Formats: sequence, C-alpha cells, structure tokens
Amino acid sequence: MTRGYSFSVFALLVFLFYPIISLEPVFSQTDFYQGKTVTVVASTAPGGTGDLRVKALVPFLRKHIPGSPTVVIEYMEGGGGRKAANYLFRTARPDGLTVGAMSSGVLGLQIMRESGVMYDIDKFIYLGAPETVGHQIIYTRKDLGLSNLEKLRTKPGIRIGAQSVGHVSYVAGRFFAYFLDLKDPKFIAGYSAPEVDAALLRGELDARANLATSALRRNPDWFEKGLMDFHAIMEIPKGAKHPRLSHLPEIESFAKTDREKKLITMWRIFRLVGYPYVMPPGTPKERVDVLQEAMRKALKDPDFHREFQKLVGDEVEPVMPEELAKVIRDVPRDAEVIDLLKNLSGSAPLPPR
Amino acid sequence: MELSLFDAAARGFLNILHLKVFLAMMIGVSIGTFTAVAPQGLGMPLVYAIALPIVIKWEPITGIALLIGASSVSAICAAYLPILFGIPGGSGSQATVLDGYPMGKRGEGRRALGASFMAGGMGSLIGTLTLVLAIPVTRPLIYLMGSPELFVVMLWGLSMVAVLAGRRPIKGLIAAAFGLLLATIGQQAQSGIMRFVFDQPYLLDGISISIIALALFGIPSALDLALTKLGVEQQPVPLKGSLFDGVKDTLREWWLVVRCSFVGVWVGIVPGLGSQVVDWLAYGHAAQTSKNPANFGKGDVRGVIAPESANDAKDGGDLITTLLMGFPQGVVTALFIVALLAWGYLPGPEMLKKNPEVIFSVVWIQGISGIIGTLVGFVLAAQLAKLAEVRYTFMVPLMFIFILMGAFSVNRDPIDLLVVITFGILGYFMRRFGYPRPAMILGLVLGDLMEKYLYRSVASYGFSWLGRPAVIVLFILAAASLVLTVRGRLKGREDSPTSLGGAMARTADES
Repeated sequence: MTRGYSFSVFALLVFLFYPIISLEPVFSQTDFYQGKTVTVVASTAPGGTGDLRVKALVPFLRKHIPGSPTVVIEYMEGGGGRKAANYLFRTARPDGLTVGAMSSGVLGLQIMRESGVMYDIDKFIYLGAPETVGHQIIYTRKDLGLSNLEKLRTKPGIRIGAQSVGHVSYVAGRFFAYFLDLKDPKFIAGYSAPEVDAALLRGELDARANLATSALRRNPDWFEKGLMDFHAIMEIPKGAKHPRLSHLPEIESFAKTDREKKLITMWRIFRLVGYPYVMPPGTPKERVDVLQEAMRKALKDPDFHREFQKLVGDEVEPVMPEELAKVIRDVPRDAEVIDLLKNLSGSAPLPPR
Repeated sequence: MELSLFDAAARGFLNILHLKVFLAMMIGVSIGTFTAVAPQGLGMPLVYAIALPIVIKWEPITGIALLIGASSVSAICAAYLPILFGIPGGSGSQATVLDGYPMGKRGEGRRALGASFMAGGMGSLIGTLTLVLAIPVTRPLIYLMGSPELFVVMLWGLSMVAVLAGRRPIKGLIAAAFGLLLATIGQQAQSGIMRFVFDQPYLLDGISISIIALALFGIPSALDLALTKLGVEQQPVPLKGSLFDGVKDTLREWWLVVRCSFVGVWVGIVPGLGSQVVDWLAYGHAAQTSKNPANFGKGDVRGVIAPESANDAKDGGDLITTLLMGFPQGVVTALFIVALLAWGYLPGPEMLKKNPEVIFSVVWIQGISGIIGTLVGFVLAAQLAKLAEVRYTFMVPLMFIFILMGAFSVNRDPIDLLVVITFGILGYFMRRFGYPRPAMILGLVLGDLMEKYLYRSVASYGFSWLGRPAVIVLFILAAASLVLTVRGRLKGREDSPTSLGGAMARTADES
C-alpha cells in the first residue's frame, strides 16, 4: 500500500512537472535571454553603410530571439576587421550574449596569413549573413574618352583610386587592372568612399572599382546621363547577372590560366560570405541554436528585407548558418593562388601575366 | 545627392528633435555650467577629454549635443568666478574680473551677472548667426578644394602650434612633432605598410586619439588638483542687486554688444588668435571707444558686457574654422574634430559637401544651448554661486573614476588602461616642464590627414600641384597668418594688455 502510494505521488509529480522538464531547454533559453543584453560587436565604424547593414538587422534579431533581449551595437572598427575578430575569438565571453558582425575581409586576412590575425575562421560559430551579392565594376571618367576596352588598355598610367591598401575596392581595382592588362596603372589609396567619387569628378583620379549597387545608389546620374565609361564586371556570385550591367564583360572571360581562374573563384568566395555574423568558439550549443534560429527567422522576415532595402539600398540575399559554415570550410587554400592573391591585395607592382 | 542649404537646415533641426538629444544637451549644459563655476581649474579641454570616449559610442547628434551644449554654456556662465570671487575665470573671461569684481564688492553682483548673461546670450546668438551666414558663402569655394588644397589647409592648421605653444615655440614644435610621430603608428592606408606596430594587434590602427586626449588632459588635472588642493579659499562677495538692472544695461549698450560680438567672431575665425585674447581685445575696444575710459577698472558695467559678449560670440567663429575649414583653433575644437572623425565625418569641405545637415544640427544645438545657458544663469544665479565652493576632495576621486572608465569604455581593452596611465604621466611631466599638450594633440589630429592629402597630391599630380592657383593663395594666407601671429607675440611684450599684441602676449599655453 505504502509502495503504491509512493508510486502514485511520484507519477503525479512526473505528470505535473513533465511539461516543464520536457521543455526545459526552450524555457531556460527564453529565460536566459529575457531581460539580458546581447551585444553585437560590429567591425565597422558608426555612420557608414556597414553600420546601416548592422542597424537594419538588429531590431529583427531582437524580435526573433526568445525573450526579446535588448540588443546593442558596439563598434570596434580597426585593422580591416581584425580587431573585432580578434576580440570575438580571444576576449569575448562565449556566453551567448556576444555576436560579431564581421567585415567581409576577415576571411581573406587569415587565408593570406596577414599579420595581426589572432583568430581562426574555422573555429568561429556562424549565424549567417544578410547580403552575399556584390558585383564589382570598374569605370573611368567620360572626359578621358576611354569608351572601349582597347582604348582603356592603351592609355598609360591610369590613376585608380580606392580607400586603403587591402580594401575591397582597392583589391578589385587591381584585379581589373591585372585581368584587363592595363598599361602601368597607378593605384592611389587614402580616400574615403565619397572622396573617391569627388576626386574622380575633379579629375584627380581617372578610374575606380566599386560595388555596382553602391555606384548606382550614390550616383544614379552617372548611369543615366552617361557621365562615366563602364568597362567590366565581376559577378558575385558567378552567373548572377546584374539587371542593368549584364552587358559588361565578366572578369573571368579575361583569365588565361587555371591559376587565374582559381584566383577569381577564391576572391568570389571571399566576397560571397558577405558580412558574416559569428559567435565566439565555445558558446553553449543550446544558445547557439537559439541565435541561429533567430537569425534564420530574421533573415527571412519580409519586414527586415524592406528595412534593409530602405537603409542600405540593397536587396537581402541571405546565407543561412549551415550554408555559410560550409562555404567557409570549402574555401580553396591553394598556396600558389594565395600568393597571387596576396600580391594583388598589396601595393607591390602587378605581377606579369 | 547633395542637399540644398534649406533642406540641410531643416534636416539639421529635425535631427535634434529627439528626447535623447535634448537630454544629452541638458547634460552638457549641466556639465558646462558646473565646469564654468567650479573653481578647481576644470576646463572644457578636460570635460571634452573625459566625455570623448563615452560620446563617440553614441549616435553622432546625441554626442554633439552633449559636447556643444557643454562648451556653449560654459562660456556664458564663466563670469561667476570673476564677479563673485575676484578670480579670473577660464580663458575668455579673464578681463571680466577688472570691472565685475568691483561691481560685486559694491553690492552690484546681481547686476554684473545679469549683464554678463545677457551679453553672453546675445553674443552667442550673433556668433551662431554668423556661422549660419558663413555656410552659403563658403560652400561654393569647396568645389575648388582638391587634395593639394586640403593639404595646404592642414598645413595652415598646423601653424596653430604657434598659438598653442604660447611663449615656448621650440617646446611647442617638439610637442607637435611628437604628435605627428604618434599619428604614424599603425597600418599606413596608402601603402599598407605597418609602422611601429611590432606585431601587436593593439597598434594596428594606431593609438586612439580620444584615449591620448583623455590621458593628457585628465590625469594631469586630477593630479594637480590632488597635489595643490586648489579651491576657493576666500569668501564670495554677497550676491546683491538686481539681475534685471544688468539686462537693462546690456540692452542699452546693444551697439557695444554687437561690436564686441564681431570682435569675438573675428578672433574665432582668424587663424592665429588664441581663445585667451578675445576678452582682452573686446575689453580694450570698449575702453578705447568709451567717452569716459577712466571708469574702466572701477566697476563699469561695460567692462563686463564687452568681454562676455565677445567670449560667447567666439564659439560661432571657432566653429566656422573647425567645421568649414577642418582645422581647430584650440584644444577644445581639436577634440571636437577627434569626435567628428570618430563618427565618420571629415570636418571641412568634405563635411560641408556631404553632411551639411550635421553642420546645421551643430548650429541649432549651439543656438539653443546658448539660450538655455542664459536662462540657467538667470534662474539659478544664487544656487550656482554655491557650486563654486565644491571641495577638491570630492572632485579628485570623481575625475579618476571618469578617466579610467572612459578609457576602458573605448574598446573594453585593458591595454587602454595602461595607455591612459602612461600618457597621463607623460602629460603631467609635459605640463610640469612646459611642453604644450594642445600642440601635441594638434599634431596627432592633423598628422594623419596631412600625410593622406600630401600622398594623394604627389601620387596624382607629381610636384605640379605646387603651382595650382588655389594652392598658392592658401600658402600665402597660411604664411601671412603665421607671420602675424609670431609678430603679434613679439610686439606684445611691449604693448598694453588690451591691444592685439598685448592680448596675444598674454596667451599662455593651455598646458
């Protein structure tokens, strides 16, 4: 009788608490994030397009994390993204409350074994990325009269402007100069993004490489009024035709060797990872799951797409967590190609083809 | 797409219509008021240095509201110490003591304060309006500015060392050169070369200017305060009379206010004149144009109205040079430029072209906080007088807490704490041995920009950029400003303190 009574009490307790026990992981994470603050460490400076990319996502991340924690942005620009990546990898507590909004250069910096890299891209936990399409184009001032590729190739000493050595637009400019066989091009870095455009208009520069979306958004009249000559495009991802610039020759059509093709493939992958969101290695799996799920929902949220379009001016082309991790795992690490990429990313003279 | 000036002004106003911006401005106003009234030698450079690491993490307009709110009101409330205690106020309010204190002693303290607030408010308004008018005048000129012209403008800015170095030009040059050297730490954007990095990720982008500023100005002030135990020892004069008598005096002397305000704006705009000359020039002007100059120095209310209106109007002139030309007139504007750079704005032609709405937000905040400062002065006159009695034992720990918290908040990097202490000790010894810290900050702020513009000029034009007409004109202006500054200093040793030369000679460095 006593035994039966004890069993009944036990069964009753199990019955009463089963829902709580069985839902424990979910409840605990909801409880965990409720009232907490998630810090998004952004590798960008406040105020620029990179900042707007982060700002567009943050409210939706908050919306989709169970418990709706406060989400704040902490800016940690520097070192081409190294500073934030190093912080995430080495210093940030892996407690599920710190997320990194990385710059797109983080991947390339490690692959190219640049100094100051103290993180390992293979050990980060990936949450996804909102934007992966990033067609690069090269254009020159109309008054130079370089209306076709032949004229562009024969003009010596074209001055190509960019932000800084190693910056995406700098490397893209050198890619175009290399693959289009420009004659003694000069690469002039040290401008901010708007300054490059202004210098181009003033005649201080002759050409620049830029994201097609940025060029269209900032200077639509350059396209509409034909104020610049557009010469070539690098499709990212490969085969994704730009709605207005699909007539431009694609950079891979100028590649002469397998090595050069591999180089373009590698660069495309670097760009394809977009602006990845990561978590420090060692973050508890259940918290990673919660944030990955929140990120999936946020990236699919139509309101987020509208907000992103409004703030950044680009379409959302998301990469989900698993896909992003796979792309990074599969990055080719061919030493010969890396050496060529290192050359094109630096300030040394372009190698002969 | 560029905004029309009207749109920029409207957007600039809309930008500040947020509760947090208003709150930040009020916090700034409170800090500025306290700084102006507290006698421990606190000054705006210290406030900016402490606030910088915090506000650069905020949204730009909110941060600007705090900084401009503080500096704008501190000038308006700077007359407390001269009038009530007979202590020369911060820079720009030193001449007020000559007539303000005698007025206080003969029971007209409220009248003097009323005149000071009213003149300050009107001066601030005139300075702000001049800034507004300068924007459309300057804007067409910026299209002439390429990298070569910007380099010369920066060079002109560097000649400010002559002002910031006070009477120690060699030490000023050494400090500025050290600042320029520090600016080279990190990866050079133009070549990708790592300079003085020693494989340390911390140094990849150089050392944060806001941390260096915090260290150089914060720690020496706190140490000085702790070691000298400075405070107001004497009792204030009793606060008697009517504030409105001072208001009536100021309105009656409106033409003097207008003239002295333009003296203030001129001092603010013209490179080469330091902030400490403004009150003496205005005071001298008032005395020289008066029918009965013998009354000056004996409690003539015009001796309060003139320096205070000029001192407050000067902020508008300072901002013209800072925002539209891109180089600082003193350490406060140098630190303001540091904040603007941290928010991603490049003060000068670039900002006028790309972010005119932010410039107008600064204008609106400057104008509104000037009005609030005037009202605060009127309403809280008696209460503010008590603030002047705050003891150093309260201030010193508070300052150290803010300095260390501020440094850590920049990157949450413990190395920043080491850096702030190291540069703090350096700042203490620089101050002790007369090496002007503002000159070092100037070198640090301008070093990076100068290098960038020079590189771009040479890379794009070779050496032919030296022959560009705008470059030649700017070189002449820069040289003329430098010569006038140096000549003013040399001449000033023999002049009266209220002449231009004499006033400039009074300009001790802010070390």
